[in-house]
Amino acid sequence: MTAVALAATEPKRRAAGNGDAVLGVLLVTPIILTMFALVFFPLGQTVWDSLHRINPMQAGTPFIGVTNYTKMLSDADLGHAWINTLIYVAAAVVLETVFGVLAAALVNQVRVGRQWLLAAVILPWALPAVVNAVIWLWIYQPGAGLLNGLLTSVGLPFENHVWFNERTSAIAAVLVVHVWRMMPLTVVIVLAAMQTIPEHLYEAARIDGATRPQMFFSITLPLVRSAIAVAVTNATVAAFNLFDEAVVVNSSSLDTRPVVVQIYLETFQNLHFSYGMALSLVLTVISILVSAVFVVRLYNSTRLE
Amino acid sequence: MRAFILSTVALTALVLASPALAQDKPLAGKSITVLMPSPQGATIAAEFEKATGIHVDLQTLSWDDIRPKLVTALIAGTAPADVTEFDWSWTGQFAAADWYVDMSSAIDDATKQDIKGTSIFTIDGKLLGVPYTNDFRVMLVNKKHFADAGITTMPKTLDELVADAKAIKAKGITQYPIGLPLSTTEGASTSWYLLTKAFGGDLFDKDWKPLFVSPDSAGYKAMAFEAQLLKDGLVDPASTGLKDSQINDTMFAKGLVSIMISGEPGRLGQYSDPAQSPAVAGNVQAILVPTASGTTRSYGLLEALAIPKVSQNQEAAMAFVKWFTSKEFQIENYGNGVLPTRTSALDELNKAGKLQSGDALVEESKYVEPLFAQGTPTWYPQFSSAVNTAINAVAKGQVTVDQAMQNIADATQKAMTE
Repeated sequence: MTAVALAATEPKRRAAGNGDAVLGVLLVTPIILTMFALVFFPLGQTVWDSLHRINPMQAGTPFIGVTNYTKMLSDADLGHAWINTLIYVAAAVVLETVFGVLAAALVNQVRVGRQWLLAAVILPWALPAVVNAVIWLWIYQPGAGLLNGLLTSVGLPFENHVWFNERTSAIAAVLVVHVWRMMPLTVVIVLAAMQTIPEHLYEAARIDGATRPQMFFSITLPLVRSAIAVAVTNATVAAFNLFDEAVVVNSSSLDTRPVVVQIYLETFQNLHFSYGMALSLVLTVISILVSAVFVVRLYNSTRLE
Repeated sequence: MRAFILSTVALTALVLASPALAQDKPLAGKSITVLMPSPQGATIAAEFEKATGIHVDLQTLSWDDIRPKLVTALIAGTAPADVTEFDWSWTGQFAAADWYVDMSSAIDDATKQDIKGTSIFTIDGKLLGVPYTNDFRVMLVNKKHFADAGITTMPKTLDELVADAKAIKAKGITQYPIGLPLSTTEGASTSWYLLTKAFGGDLFDKDWKPLFVSPDSAGYKAMAFEAQLLKDGLVDPASTGLKDSQINDTMFAKGLVSIMISGEPGRLGQYSDPAQSPAVAGNVQAILVPTASGTTRSYGLLEALAIPKVSQNQEAAMAFVKWFTSKEFQIENYGNGVLPTRTSALDELNKAGKLQSGDALVEESKYVEPLFAQGTPTWYPQFSSAVNTAINAVAKGQVTVDQAMQNIADATQKAMTE
């Protein structure tokens, strides 16, 4: 009897299971199709095109193998741009993470008017990148700029100082604009994670005599590690894609030119489309690899034992 | 009965008039898109539609944003618009890409004679664009600053120019009398081209061999001249980060600069308008470009209207190009700050006393040459980029003039062989 009953329910269960599977497939089909149409197909096409010569000024699109990739090795301007980009990435990730986590911890302590403070903090991120950059361009102006005005007012000789006439200060100036814009995102991500940490963990630590720094490093930091990993990934990708800030404050000067500006110049100025595609692909791969390294290292160094 | 007669008469009149209307406005009812730099006159679309019956969707973008839009659309085989902006500096690349319609047979010889700049847009006998705005270089000066410094005659040579600038600075009228972009932008390149002409030379020979590497060449002297102006405190050190438009708008228009070396005639209207330029209105005039020899030289940076080959409305587009570059409309469009490309329109405006600094502009226009006698090369963007990068580096003291000129030559050679 039992065997008969089981035999009768099995097809039903199988039918229900098949129904779930079909429903699952139906639910994921739109995103799979969308991803294929908008991500994987264009990516594959770009890889294929990067192996051809695509230049509207020259007839045909012959297969040229990895020529576009080997050409990068002898491109001096690209070398300059890579050095600048790596400086931006290293500095931006460190600054945004360190100051972003500290700022999040600070905002987390505020009990009254936190929403207003948060709104003020995320304002630079909410503004378009070009608007941010133009504001900073005015701040850096040699004559009437705010920065020179402040430094001059405390007696320093910066009256007509031109920040972009020297490479180190020019790089720093671009970096400040970028960090100013992107750090609020780190603050928001990390703050959201901090707010999920149970209060009783801190109470127990206080009873055990833990100091504030000890609580921060032993409770807060390990518990927000996932959020930091997300923020670091975001900061890395954003720094690799830095474009607006450099162009607005210092045009396409080699001193501050990042790789994305070089890609833009090669593609839309010089009409070397397939070379631009190859550059974009290399930038994407390196960006993903560096993000992965950062995330794994950070995860390992902050995980709870 | 009366109603029947009236409607019959009206219908007959309409039927009889239709061929006439169709002959008068054969393309009436068609619709085209036009992509031009902002700003443009507010009534252009309405006026054209009234004249031809063709509806125009006039789209404007900042000049810098137009080229990426054109290139992206054209490489994809779609028309960015039926009529588009076509800058002189794109001629080599766009001709090689074969993206635009040859208008040489559609534009009559009289027009080609009247608009001398058509030669700049003619490659291998194909006319790719009809110039609509006459951008050549003159020198713009603040005559009040000159008068305040006790200078009674305008400079004709580069030595006189430097002496006058020093006199203005010495009197404390302006701290940096000369406006000269030194940033990595097109404006820095075009200023150096003009100074190269002013020193009596050209950029390349007929075989595209660079003529600027030798220390006694005009290009070399022009670069050294720029460096010297900066060293002498006649040019603002902040110019390393400023576009020509920024120097025009934030310095010359505010009376902080006395001389725009590479002045744009189209800006005279802006500078003479008290509402737009209260600090300098009435004090700005164009003068002939001073040169080493004293005989002025200049070159054209004209902008044209062109029709992409992929446009589906080429006939109506051609009608727009012809209407927009007609003498009558060019004279009217001068009110929108667009300097006519037709010699006849310039003459007429000048005779009517409507052309700001008219005598200087008409005189200078006689000396306007193409920058490249053989036509703008396909590698012009790389060349220009190398030029402004070199100027920027010299201004920042990162390279010598010698190295800068060699860098430009090397970058050009590389671009030529790609």
